[in-house]
Amino acid sequence: MRRRWSTYALLTAGLVLVVLPFVWTVLTSFKPETEIRRDPPAFLPLEWTLANYDLLLAKMNIGQVFLNSLIVAVAVVAGNLLFCSMVGYAFAKLSFRWKNAVFALVLVQMTVPAIVVMIPQFVLVAKIGLVNTFLGIILPGLVTPLGVFLMRQFIMDIPDELIHAARVDGAREFRIFFTIVLPLCKPALATLGLITFLGSWNNFLWPAVVAQSEDLYTLPVALAIFSGYQGTQYGLLIAGAVVVVLPILTLFVFLQRYFIQGIASTGIK
Amino acid sequence: MQRYAAGLIVLGLVLTACGRSTDQPAEQAKNVDTGKARGEVTVWAMGTEGEALDAFAQEFEAAHPGVTVKVTALGWDVAHDKITAAIAGDATPDISMLGSTWMGEMAKTGALEPTPGNLIDKSAFFPSAWKTVEVDGTAYGIPWYVETRAFYYRTDLARKAGVEPPATWAETKSFVAALKAEGGAELGVEQNFRQGSWQEVVPLVWQAGGEIMAAGKWTLDTPQMVQALEHYNSFFAGGLAPNDLPLTAFPQTFVKGRVGAFYSGPWMITGLEKDGGAGFGEKFAVAAYPEGGAGGTSLIGGSELVVFKSARNREAAWTFLRWLTDAKVQAKWYAKVNALPSVEAAWQEPELTGDERVKVFGEQLKDARGVPAVPTWEQVAKAMETEIEKMALGRQSPAETAKAFQRKAESIGTGT
Repeated sequence: MRRRWSTYALLTAGLVLVVLPFVWTVLTSFKPETEIRRDPPAFLPLEWTLANYDLLLAKMNIGQVFLNSLIVAVAVVAGNLLFCSMVGYAFAKLSFRWKNAVFALVLVQMTVPAIVVMIPQFVLVAKIGLVNTFLGIILPGLVTPLGVFLMRQFIMDIPDELIHAARVDGAREFRIFFTIVLPLCKPALATLGLITFLGSWNNFLWPAVVAQSEDLYTLPVALAIFSGYQGTQYGLLIAGAVVVVLPILTLFVFLQRYFIQGIASTGIK
Repeated sequence: MQRYAAGLIVLGLVLTACGRSTDQPAEQAKNVDTGKARGEVTVWAMGTEGEALDAFAQEFEAAHPGVTVKVTALGWDVAHDKITAAIAGDATPDISMLGSTWMGEMAKTGALEPTPGNLIDKSAFFPSAWKTVEVDGTAYGIPWYVETRAFYYRTDLARKAGVEPPATWAETKSFVAALKAEGGAELGVEQNFRQGSWQEVVPLVWQAGGEIMAAGKWTLDTPQMVQALEHYNSFFAGGLAPNDLPLTAFPQTFVKGRVGAFYSGPWMITGLEKDGGAGFGEKFAVAAYPEGGAGGTSLIGGSELVVFKSARNREAAWTFLRWLTDAKVQAKWYAKVNALPSVEAAWQEPELTGDERVKVFGEQLKDARGVPAVPTWEQVAKAMETEIEKMALGRQSPAETAKAFQRKAESIGTGT
């Protein structure tokens, strides 16, 4: 009994530590601009205000920007779920020449930072005329090495017998993939979906470079306008940060069961 | 793999393209016929300017039927990468705003159009401002607005301590000491030694009679540099400038009177009035840079506007820039976003003659210089910041710092 009490105390302390910065962010978004930079800082707003949110609504077309972020994120997630699991399936269950060498290449890509390939990638996108289009923003993110790796590891654990049985029954590769393999991958797909959604939702540099007019701006890109060269508008930025985080929190609440399952089952190996 | 191979080839092409343009003789500017200004002009602008320019340009559109101006606002964080990528991919807008320290780098890509002399009169600008758009003798674009640094101090504390704002380096020392001892400014003077700290040091070098670069070579380890660093560092070493506070402590420390003075640009006026609340505007003033052995030269910064060679509506683009540099328009723009006019005549307009503190910046602009227009300046400035921080924290001497500047700058090179 005593021990349980101390465990809870420890867990609570950990929770407070993790949650505190977020709570502080939310509280700060309700403070007036002058109070944000107050010294010493106060935890609770001395004066509650919605001014930051009002300003955010006035300064940017939040509905449009939010929708843009959503379009990009949903497309990227859909692409990753489909293509990464397909490629992962090929690496895990099919045999073809140079399979391991090709897989090694995929792994090598995980070590190359995105910024290194940004300029050449942009030049390519420009050459095929996709600058300032949603497709240009989405296309390079549709399949990711991390996703391929994750799906391959998960699919390797699916018993070969299931696939052989389906093959004996006369199923083609696509049929096997869609009706046997994919339904078994739900936890891994949930993990992958959440990771790629987070990645796309927070992605800044690529959308910022490809989107050349404000009606294509995603949330982080639009918010960056307010981080000035000579004085940042913290109130606006923090209110914006809260708006950015909310959908992710919601998503996490709904998917956390799968998320933990997925991490656990892919992480054990 | 294919992606990388293709990427490398393209990168190679871009690099060779850059290399070629540097070998060419100075570019000739082509005249612009404003009568032919038609169509849509796309403009990229950063931060507050980007937010405000679209509405501001309506007056121009009204005066020039057939021309529309479409402004895209971008964040400062991404602007540099976005513009370089756009140049590499040949997907530039017609006009873009540039930070003045990027000029050397961007001009070298060969993507910028030289300024047409028949339209833009260079003598209308502060000479120091015009220099920031010149690279190897050719002007690209226009200086849009300028900023320079000067000396801010608390008038109430100075009065309490019975001292006048300093005119020389030696007086600065006694001024700050008096603010601390008699005025109650326990922390003395604020000297930034972190991000952007090169801006504190570079004016001092000129004031000591030194140069950042001479005959195309870095000259960062000179007696004048050491003298400048010694002056700057003496405030930290003598307990007259704080070096143990978090980054965000300033400007609250100034508002509270713990810090009595600092060096910065014109944007701090409105920033302080906002942070300090009602009545604080009366409590501080601005003075020109205290003079070193060779004068009181300050640093000029600001933003340029450039037209790209690939602009679809070249005539309309240059006509718009011509309009933005009209004295009256510049004064109006100042009233809107607090950006100081680069055109000298604009300083006679009522918008700029109202505030004594703003006038000080106008005077200081007559004695100000820009940083060397070389592509590697940003990197060298970053290297300087690292070394300045080490010195401010007492880990190395001014002489060692100057040596480290020179060593690092030489290994970075000048990019030409």
